[in-house]
Amino acid sequence: MNYTLALTIGWLYPELMSTYGDHGNVITLQKRCEWRNIKAKVIELNTNFSVRDLKKCDLLMMGGAQDTQQEAVSKDLNGKSSILNEMILNGIPGIYICGAYQFLGNYYKEADGNLIEGLKIFDLYTENTQVNARRLIGNLAFRTKDFGTIVGFENHGGRTYLGKNLKPLGFVMKGFGNNGKDGTEGAVFKNSIGTYSHGPILPKNPLLADALLKKALDKKYRTFIKLPKLDDYLEQKARLQVAKRLSIAI
Amino acid sequence: MNSLIVLIGKTILLFSRILNLGSGSTWPGHVALKLDADFIEHTLNKSRLKIILVTGTNGKTTTVKLLQSILEKAGKKIFVNFSGANLTNGVASSIIQKSDLKGKLNYEYAIFEIDENTLPLVIKQLKPDYLIALNLFRDQLDRYGEVNSIAKMWKSNYNKLYKTKYILNADDPQIAYLGSGILSKVYYFGLNDQKYQTHQVQHAADSVLCPSCGQRLDFKRVYFSHLGIWKCPKCGLSRPPLDIEKTKFYPLKGTYAVYDTLAAVLTAKIIGINENVIEHALTDFKPAFGRQEEVTLDGKKIQLFLSKNPTSFNESLKTISEQNPKNLLIVLNDRIPDGTDISWIWDVEFEMLTNKHIKLFLAGDRVYDLALRLKYSLKRNGKAYSVFENLNEAVKIAVSQTAPNHKLYILPTYSAMLEVRGILTGKKIS
Repeated sequence: MNYTLALTIGWLYPELMSTYGDHGNVITLQKRCEWRNIKAKVIELNTNFSVRDLKKCDLLMMGGAQDTQQEAVSKDLNGKSSILNEMILNGIPGIYICGAYQFLGNYYKEADGNLIEGLKIFDLYTENTQVNARRLIGNLAFRTKDFGTIVGFENHGGRTYLGKNLKPLGFVMKGFGNNGKDGTEGAVFKNSIGTYSHGPILPKNPLLADALLKKALDKKYRTFIKLPKLDDYLEQKARLQVAKRLSIAI
Repeated sequence: MNSLIVLIGKTILLFSRILNLGSGSTWPGHVALKLDADFIEHTLNKSRLKIILVTGTNGKTTTVKLLQSILEKAGKKIFVNFSGANLTNGVASSIIQKSDLKGKLNYEYAIFEIDENTLPLVIKQLKPDYLIALNLFRDQLDRYGEVNSIAKMWKSNYNKLYKTKYILNADDPQIAYLGSGILSKVYYFGLNDQKYQTHQVQHAADSVLCPSCGQRLDFKRVYFSHLGIWKCPKCGLSRPPLDIEKTKFYPLKGTYAVYDTLAAVLTAKIIGINENVIEHALTDFKPAFGRQEEVTLDGKKIQLFLSKNPTSFNESLKTISEQNPKNLLIVLNDRIPDGTDISWIWDVEFEMLTNKHIKLFLAGDRVYDLALRLKYSLKRNGKAYSVFENLNEAVKIAVSQTAPNHKLYILPTYSAMLEVRGILTGKKIS
C-alpha cells in the first residue's frame, strides 16, 4: 500500500487510564485514517514513557480512570507535563476525557477538602462538594457549534467549572455536562478538547473524529487537507438509537 | 412476628405467581424487609444452618450451582437463592420461599449469591460460615461506581468477620489482598498451569496496581484480564501460596469456569466432602440458566453464553472461538440489569471473530452500537454481519441459517439472555 499521508496518534496511559471503553476512540481515529489510505500509527504512552515518543505525536487521546490510577499518572507526568503543555499550546490536537479532562485543569477539590493539583493547561477547576454526592451518570447529548449534536455517556463525581476565557465544547440537551448546573459541557482550548463524554465519544460522533484528524493533518503538512467522505450509515443509526432513548431530535 | 412475616411473604409470592408478575422473585423479600429490617438475621440465627456466601463480578451463579451439586451429591440439604435475584431482597425472598409455614428452615447449608456491592449490607445482617470471593472486574460502573472503591469497602467489612472461613482467588490481586492481615482462616485457589496463559495485551484490565502500596504490579504470567501470578516490586506483596490449583474434571469450558470449579471444589474439601463424591458431582453437572446452557430448537443445538461485561465477554468469545464456531448471535441491551453504559463493548476483542468465517447475527436495544463496534473491528470496510432490530426475527433467522450439524452460539447481556430464553422455550419472559 502506498500512503501519501501519515499520522502518529499518541494514546496517553492506556494501561491506567482506560476504564470506560475509551480505547474505542483510538480505534476510530486509526480506522478512519486507514479507510482513507492515511497511514496511522498508534504509540501507547504508558508509565515511564519517553518524552521523545510524546513529541512524535500529531494527535493525542487520554481517557478516564479511577482515583488510584490518576494518582499514579500524576506522579509519572511530573516533569513531563511541560512538554505536553507546550504541545497543546502549539495546537497539537487532542481529546481528553473525564479524568483526563479534569486533570488538565487547575485543581480537583475532593469532598474532604483535599486539593489535587492539576496540570493548569485548561483554565478550569473541579470539585466534589459533598462526601457521597450523587455521581452524574447517564446518557448524554449536547449541542456544539462545529461538530453538530454529540451523543455519549457520562459517569463522574466531580463538578467542573470553566474560567472566564475558556469556551465550553457545547451546551447540554439531555444529561448533566460539566456540573449539572450551568448547562455547559466540556471545553475547547486551542485544538484540544476536554469532555465528560464516554460512550466512547468518537465512534458515534464522526464529525468530531474527522475534525480532529483534519486538524492534525493540516498542522503536520501545513496545508488544508480535504478528507474523503466515508459511509456513516451505521454511525447515524447508532446516534438515532441514543436520541430515541433520550427523546430528542438530532 | 417472624413467622407472620414469612406467611405474608408467602402470600405475596403466591399472588405474584398467579398473576404472573415478573418481579415475583424479589417482591416478598422487599415487603419482609420493610416490616422487619433485621428479618434475615432473625430468621437465620434461629436455625442451625451453615451459610455460604459467593461474591465477585463474574461466575457467582455457576460457582453456586457447582457447590450445590457437590453438596447435594453428598446428601446434604441445601437451599440457594434465586438465580439472578442476588440483592438483599432476593436473599430475604428465598428465605421466605424455603421456610415452612412456622417460619422455620429445615436445611443444613444455604448458599447465597451476593452482588459485590450489596455484600457489606448483607454481612451486617448475617455472619457467613464460608465466604467465597471470586474476582473483581469492571461491571456496570453506572450502577456500582468503580472497582477500587468496591475493593476498599470490602476490605473494611471483611475485617469484621472473625469466624468466617475465607475462600479467595489468589490470582486476583485485590481479592487476594482481602486475606492479608486478618485473623480468620484463609484458603486460596489459583492456577499454576502454563496452558492457561495468555499473551494478549488486555486494555480492560482493572487492577494492575498494588492493592497495598499503589505501585504497578509485575506479572510473571497473565491468565486473563488482571488474573495471574503477580508480585509488587516495591512492597513485596505477592500472590499467596495456593491450597488448590487443579482438579480432575472440569464440567465447563473456558478459563473462568476453571476458577469457578476450583473455588467450589476447595470449599467442598474444607467442608469435608469426599474426593470421589466431588468428582461424581462434577461429571454429572448441568450448567446454570444461560451459562453455557444448551437448548435444542428445530433439531438444532443452541448454546447460551451470558456475557455481561468486557471480561466475561472476552472469555466467552475466547471459549467459543476455540470450538470452531460457524454461527453466532450477539444481543446487546442497555436496561438496568445490563448496565445502561455500553461503552465496554469497545474493550471486547471482537477482532478475534470478524476475520474468521463466522456468520454473525446482531440484535438488541443497542444493536447499532454493536454493529458499529464490529464495523470497526473488520480488516476491510465491508459487511460481515446481519443487523436485526427485532429479536424474534434475529433468533428465527439465526436458527434457520444454522446447518443441522452445526451449533448456534448466543452471547446475550443479562436481560437479553432472559428474552432469548423466553423465545427459545416459546414463553416470552417480560
